[in-house]
Amino acid sequence: MNENRRQILEMLAAGKITANEAEQLIAALEPNSTAPAGEFAGRTAGSNGWPNSEKDAPVKTRLKYLRVLVESTEKGGPTTVNVRVPMQLLRAGVRLASLIPQQAHDELDATLSKHGVPLTLSQIKPENLEELIDHLEDLSVDVDAKDEKAKVRVFCE
Amino acid sequence: MIPNVAVLEIESRHFHMPRLWIPLILLWIPLILVFLLISPVLFIVICAMSMATGVGPFRVVRIFWDILSSLRGTDVRVTSNGNKVLVRLL
Repeated sequence: MNENRRQILEMLAAGKITANEAEQLIAALEPNSTAPAGEFAGRTAGSNGWPNSEKDAPVKTRLKYLRVLVESTEKGGPTTVNVRVPMQLLRAGVRLASLIPQQAHDELDATLSKHGVPLTLSQIKPENLEELIDHLEDLSVDVDAKDEKAKVRVFCE
Repeated sequence: MIPNVAVLEIESRHFHMPRLWIPLILLWIPLILVFLLISPVLFIVICAMSMATGVGPFRVVRIFWDILSSLRGTDVRVTSNGNKVLVRLL
């Protein structure tokens, strides 16, 4: 038996987790599972707490793309921007930020703060990356500026 | 996996370019040769970057490779005043 699986079953036996949570953790361990490692993926379970058929498919699939849609109406005519960025690129981009020297990080943070964006770029570390991406998956931003006649939508798909 | 095909389409009121399917694999092969030729310079640049940032040289290469690989699936479409640009990486 796999060591991780054994630990989950021991936690279940000790009453530290419920049968549902154990099932979700085991599902996350499966190599072809769509569940992100380290989080419960919202998988439905049968009456006994374990998946019992094909209908017990994962509810939450891992989102692959960040989508940015911009629609604006200007004097010359409408402008539409439709950008689809792979989540994997965001991951790689955050890792790229680790190559930026600390001095540049400090200057960037200071400039962002000066312009009203209190963001500390150096706090975005590869070890926090998955958490950041997971939260991005729940992101949905809708901006409808009536004066500017522009509409912005940011979401994950 | 790195993108193998780029799709490009440019259209304006007076000009229409048919959708181009560019096989990037034809670009990667000569690029590998170029990389091999400039590998001593690249090695120095990567080492300098590693020393400046404190990140290992293999990690630097890995990060750039990850960026290249993750470009697959990128889709950019811009339409403005009758002009249209489409860029897709497959």
